[in-house]
Amino acid sequence: MADRPKVGIVGVAIRPCIPDDGRHSLEEHLHLVMHATLADAGLATDDLEGIVVGANDQYDGRAITVMMASGPLGGVDRDILSTPSAGEHAFVLGALRIASGQFRTQLVAAWSPTEASSIPEAQRLANDPLFHRRLPLDELAAAALQANAMEHAAPGCAALAERVLATMRGNGARAFPSLVQADVARGRPTRWPLRADMVPPPVTGVVALMLASEEFIAERGISPVAWISGMGWATEPAFLGDRDLATAPALAAAASQAYGEAGVIDAGTAFDVAEITDVTPYQALLALEGLGLAARADWPARLGEFGPEGRMPVNLSGGVASLNPVYCTGLIRIAEVANQLRGRAEGHQKQGARRGLAHAASGPAMQYQTVIVLEAGERRAAA
Amino acid sequence: MELLKRQEDWKITYTHALGETASWFYVQIRDHAKIYGKRDARSGRVLVPPRAFSDQTLEPTTDWVEVGPGGVIEAFTIVYDKFNNLPDPPYAFGYVMLDGADTALGGFFKGVELANGEEASKRLAIGTRVVTRFAEKRTGDVLDFWFEPAAS
Repeated sequence: MADRPKVGIVGVAIRPCIPDDGRHSLEEHLHLVMHATLADAGLATDDLEGIVVGANDQYDGRAITVMMASGPLGGVDRDILSTPSAGEHAFVLGALRIASGQFRTQLVAAWSPTEASSIPEAQRLANDPLFHRRLPLDELAAAALQANAMEHAAPGCAALAERVLATMRGNGARAFPSLVQADVARGRPTRWPLRADMVPPPVTGVVALMLASEEFIAERGISPVAWISGMGWATEPAFLGDRDLATAPALAAAASQAYGEAGVIDAGTAFDVAEITDVTPYQALLALEGLGLAARADWPARLGEFGPEGRMPVNLSGGVASLNPVYCTGLIRIAEVANQLRGRAEGHQKQGARRGLAHAASGPAMQYQTVIVLEAGERRAAA
Repeated sequence: MELLKRQEDWKITYTHALGETASWFYVQIRDHAKIYGKRDARSGRVLVPPRAFSDQTLEPTTDWVEVGPGGVIEAFTIVYDKFNNLPDPPYAFGYVMLDGADTALGGFFKGVELANGEEASKRLAIGTRVVTRFAEKRTGDVLDFWFEPAAS
């Protein structure tokens, strides 16, 4: 991998909670975010060589939704690809397209509208029709199955999950004070042991990143840049009954791949800041373990290290626990870390962050796991 | 200015082929109230629900193996929200490792009072022995069977 072109993130636009005021159609939101991303990079539409999107037909209510997205994102007369598996997979594809040497720039985007009458029912449609679609199995139910499995495997998990939730919500309230409340009243159970207050309701969101090759960045003198120094991704079996839901072997595999590429020896001390996908606080705990940041035996003692004043703050954005644009939460984690390293995280900026870790999980009970290691501009990306 | 929204309700009916393996599985449930898995010859694992091939070894599965009716709860949750085409909530469902199987089967739990989640979660705790029950009228569907805690 040493000879492949370096890829940097040069532009970011995150819209984690778009008000449902009807002023813009989904197509118009995408178009606005495309321009915002280019503006953040200091680039123009002529600099856009290709687009990769992560898009979900069921949520969008548009079959082969990339056809809808092509026009707004610049796909007319340009190459555009789409993956329905996850927004973070679009990021990996975009980076690999530049690394292939065939492109110098790529726009990567994902979005998540709330136009469907029921997102849980839309998620049920993703279940196989042979054995699972008749069950009340949406992603929240899958996360609840996982939460119970974790409490069984690591008794005391539920109390730790409450601590994690409080930390994330506090972060969210600082990062987005007009959108997130630190203290939310205890809600009714929705999917035992999960309560309504533990997982925020779905909101509309859009996120996009502009990627560019090292050569292009040097030629244009672009700054700031977050360099991609490691990427890993892995998948677990589709049937939940085939898995041990209290573990995350695909995350360990993805982390190993990303850390190996980035030259990370000890994940516990390698990063200044991290964003993890925490659809539930139980999943946050599992992510800490799978990423090699804290083994479950160490969770009670070490959670403080990941708080806002801790050694390595996790989810200064507040994470999914604070704002939940369902389909683009993974790509937002990558975008948040990129902004931290570019010094553009505004009110939730970690000063002096040089190396960051982004974790994205998608699918039922974190079926798809993606790990991205990013480094701040001046430091050269690892071979 | 006045901003419009348009509501659409598409009704498309799909008729999915289940294939030989899932068809045989559901026919045994419908006609004989029995659950079978299929063995992956290479790993020796009995896959339940059965599949024509193992997605681990990528080899075709071979012999049918009857599993259950007893088993152990591997995962559970209680769902308090309404879903289409299902009875009124709450529902309890999850995964059970039936005796003789190597992967867990998804299905509903019954025989447990669900109004108090705390109490219900104790009766459905992971590791609890359950027994498979079958509906009197069966159609060849996941709803033909469910799991209940075994009498202690």
